[in-house]
Amino acid sequence: MQEETGEKLMEKFIDHCCEKCTHTKANPCRDFINCCVEGPICHKNEPCTKKRKAIINKVALNEQFVIC
Amino acid sequence: MYEKHLMICGATGCLSSGSHLVEQALVEELEKQGIKDKFRLVMGGCPGFCEVGPIIVVYPDEVFYCRLKPKDMAELVEKHLVGGEIVERLLYKGPDVDVPARFYDTIPFYAKQKFNVLRNSGVIDPESIDEYIMRGGYRAFTRALAMDPPAVCEEVKQAGLRGRGGAGFSTGLKWEFTNKAPGSKKYVVCNADEGDPGAFMDRSILEGDPHAILEGMLICGRAIGADEGYIYCRAEYPLAIKRLRVAIEKAQEYGLLGENILGYGYNFEMNIKEGAGAFVCGEETALLASIEGKRGMPRPRPPFPAQSGLFGKPTTINNVETLANVPLIMKEGGAAEFVKVGTEGSKGTKVFALAGKVRNTGLCEVPMGITIREIIYDVGGGIKGGRDFKAVQAGGPSGGCIPVDLIDLPIDYDSLNQAGAIMGSGGLVVMDEGTCMVDLARYFLSFTQKESCGKCTPCREGTKRMLEILNRISEGFGEPGDLEVLDSLAGSIKDSSLCGLGQTCPNPVLSTIRYFRNEYEEHINERFCRAGVCKELFKYRIDEEKCTGCTACVRACPADAIKGEKKEPHEIIQELCTRCGSCIEKCRQDCIMITPVGSEADVSN
Repeated sequence: MQEETGEKLMEKFIDHCCEKCTHTKANPCRDFINCCVEGPICHKNEPCTKKRKAIINKVALNEQFVIC
Repeated sequence: MYEKHLMICGATGCLSSGSHLVEQALVEELEKQGIKDKFRLVMGGCPGFCEVGPIIVVYPDEVFYCRLKPKDMAELVEKHLVGGEIVERLLYKGPDVDVPARFYDTIPFYAKQKFNVLRNSGVIDPESIDEYIMRGGYRAFTRALAMDPPAVCEEVKQAGLRGRGGAGFSTGLKWEFTNKAPGSKKYVVCNADEGDPGAFMDRSILEGDPHAILEGMLICGRAIGADEGYIYCRAEYPLAIKRLRVAIEKAQEYGLLGENILGYGYNFEMNIKEGAGAFVCGEETALLASIEGKRGMPRPRPPFPAQSGLFGKPTTINNVETLANVPLIMKEGGAAEFVKVGTEGSKGTKVFALAGKVRNTGLCEVPMGITIREIIYDVGGGIKGGRDFKAVQAGGPSGGCIPVDLIDLPIDYDSLNQAGAIMGSGGLVVMDEGTCMVDLARYFLSFTQKESCGKCTPCREGTKRMLEILNRISEGFGEPGDLEVLDSLAGSIKDSSLCGLGQTCPNPVLSTIRYFRNEYEEHINERFCRAGVCKELFKYRIDEEKCTGCTACVRACPADAIKGEKKEPHEIIQELCTRCGSCIEKCRQDCIMITPVGSEADVSN
């Protein structure tokens, strides 16, 4: 899926927010789980944060849904 | 973004009540109106209140709709989803609420519950690993990966978690034994062979929150040094197995199973073994034999599985509910939170499957230490038909019967043991005055007798002898001394059986003799079953003084065993009567009596 800017969206947490994320099964990142909800942890980037929030907002039932 | 989320109970109970047809009708209605994309529909886990299924909960409004039928969906879509108006006629109604109730805050069934293990059930899509992660999932495992394995064992030990499958052994201590056992190859086994009649706690957890089990097993594996796990789940749970397979696939995709998990150099592989449904395979050594491809039979212990378990390697076996508690304890600050709930010796919550003569059947999760009265009357809504509570069978066929005199007994491991019952896996079968305790003991013993694997003599032969005596008593051939023989046999079987099945199967007999000895004596000495269950030991008789000749009993009788003219007292033809009880259920004048064979006296309750 493409945003209007041409930047790729994340559809699930395993998708990379940008080229700075390198977590794969073969090259695992220790922060991966915390990064899913609170990330990105290894770099600061508002669009990358928004991509994660978009995944959450799609399915969160209410404000108490996400537990950090 | 969706306007609303509709969580449809997609667990086995609601599916059997037609929740899939409700979902189908809902989809069709939304498509017909061209608004399907605005709403998210999830066939989720069990919200617990099986009695009123099928259930849909609409979020974020938190409106709880129940007893749904496909034909209700047009109104639900039109009024609520389009018009924003709650459909009152589909809300929960019952004698325990003054007005139709909306959700947890107003439905008495939920008022005393505390959701730890069932925290995600009915709230997330069980097939979505992302939603599990959003709810805090896999954080505890990440934390455990960064800790020393003995420290993980210690933290679980300090939390006071005890096995939820039966015996209530300290989980952290069990892990410590396996951690300390020599050997490079170790296993974690999840016991999902839930075999108690009427129990479905583990099935619901697996169906509603499968990742919680995987995470619990991964933490256990890390703590004991295991790199492989098996989930032993009975093949009778196809939905649970499907959801586990999906969860394993997703966890592999996310790098949470496999090699070098999250870069910590830790490896773990997960397997599912489908069991054939033998009750004895819930016993850990029989379960291990079954995984190994052998006949499911127990073996003597020691050596315990912690020293020599699956394929001869050190193994930890934990029950589903035990494992589902682990991520809660191992998350940051989790152990401190966990110990706040429960009693001194029994921490946390317990999930019970509430069944029998109670109004609100279903699944409930309550703090340890809650009383039987609170479970039956506050959560369960009391006894069906306004009858009197007589007893509750706790712990299934291995458990014991707790009488009304002990209704204020707190439910925790030690109190139940003292009362002659056990926590067991969490089955609670509630009985009213219409239950015969001799018949109840006979039912549970016939179950364990059939399920006895036959390997050891006390269980194989002893249960047969006990069952023969119980059969004789309920058929009217009881003899003086039978109770003493039952007691003696039960003691021998408990003391000398090879495994937990034999060691606990006399419990229903012993506890019913302990608390309802008068009923046994009445069966033996007076050849009378007061509850009207043992068919050879009572007859129905119509009280001519009370009978108005309404013919309700005549119409209900399937054997044409009641004669009498309209508005004239009726009479039961004893030769034709099968004592099915249809007449007594239909009689509005309360004029049908349960009397001893050969007696005309009214001794009914």
